[in-house]
Amino acid sequence: MTFPMNIIETDRLTRRFRATEAVHALTLAVPTGSVFALLGPNGAGKTTTLKMLANLLLPTAGSARVLGVDSRKLGERELAQLGYVSEDQRLPDWMTVTQLLGYCRPFYPTWDADLEAKLLVRFELPADRKLSQLSRGMRMKAALLSSLAYRPKLLVLDEPFSGLDPVVRDDLTAGLLEAAQLGETTVLVSSHDIEEVERLADHVALLDGGRLRFSETTEALLGRFRRIEVDYEGTVDSSSLPESWLGWSSGGGRAVFVETAFQSEHTERACRERFPLARVRAHPMTLREIFITLARAGRHSTEEIAR
Amino acid sequence: MLPFSIELKPGLPITEQVIFAVKRAVVAGRLKPGTPFPSVRTLSQELRINPNTAHKIVGTLVAEGVLLTTPAVGSVVAEPSGDDRQAKAALLGDELERVVVEAKQLGLGLEEVQAELAAHWKRLGRK
Repeated sequence: MTFPMNIIETDRLTRRFRATEAVHALTLAVPTGSVFALLGPNGAGKTTTLKMLANLLLPTAGSARVLGVDSRKLGERELAQLGYVSEDQRLPDWMTVTQLLGYCRPFYPTWDADLEAKLLVRFELPADRKLSQLSRGMRMKAALLSSLAYRPKLLVLDEPFSGLDPVVRDDLTAGLLEAAQLGETTVLVSSHDIEEVERLADHVALLDGGRLRFSETTEALLGRFRRIEVDYEGTVDSSSLPESWLGWSSGGGRAVFVETAFQSEHTERACRERFPLARVRAHPMTLREIFITLARAGRHSTEEIAR
Repeated sequence: MLPFSIELKPGLPITEQVIFAVKRAVVAGRLKPGTPFPSVRTLSQELRINPNTAHKIVGTLVAEGVLLTTPAVGSVVAEPSGDDRQAKAALLGDELERVVVEAKQLGLGLEEVQAELAAHWKRLGRK
């Protein structure tokens, strides 16, 4: 079965815990074959979202379609194509790595023994050690291996890199890329640290306070954000600035702000209209800088700055 | 190991960075015509980048004639077409544009920039 456009689509997905709304009316599409990073600070609602998508938690309102079915109706057939690995994964601690894999194997018709063997070597997992005696990084490797080996169509990873050292993170990434097949595997990965997933993700979405701030391709996001420096003469009227300009500050003949809808000519024209004779410079921003800018802007206003 | 050197920097699209690195290696003669180019898979795994991004990189390099695809071998480095020196000079495009923009904003003329460039050239040439 193929999923032509989006392997996940949510429609106003909402989850409340008593008085607290962890996820608010989330409408999101995860394109098939993408590596989709769901980003946001701790407590933003990422884990709650992922749990609803894997039917580990029921939505209070709204719905999600995952692998072509309603998330509440995910059955054996869909679960055999879905991998779910979380930061605080519960594993059968009394088993050895070999026993864990032996236990998982029969559940999945698509289990790939060659890939399993390759990943065991790549992850340097001690096959005969009990899971309870493994380090945090090793446990994550064992959990990821047991999900990668059946080549799921959809892999959901909840903070897989959190608290792990760079070498383990690199091993996990390498294993993920070894197992992923172009256009076949969709990876939905959550993280509070953009740098962990910057190279991997071709789509990024930002969740903040249970609300979606934006969701777009990494390329489009990097393309539309620029830090702008303007050196001008005289005074400047900052009362009518474009809505796409964030974090405006000026003084001493210089203004600095972030343009969120950058287009070389358009931005330059907008600057010149306001300050003739200005010297305008546009600097590309890293994803981290973009997120910090958005987080600050979010604190200052409750208005949506997502497009 | 990849047959060209690259250090990915955050903030710029990965596609652009890799394509630039490959073109630079080709015009500098470090990637010779006929050399097999890494597969999408290898590129993705070595650079730890998204396979879709790696796919796009190879696709763009093929479309621009930097690589040739052959059914059996995969992609190989193409024979550089046209003027080699022109291709080399084109790689300076972005840098030169930045210099020109800066110079214009500072109100400098072409002669002044050329004189400054010549001075730098001379200074570094002596070492």
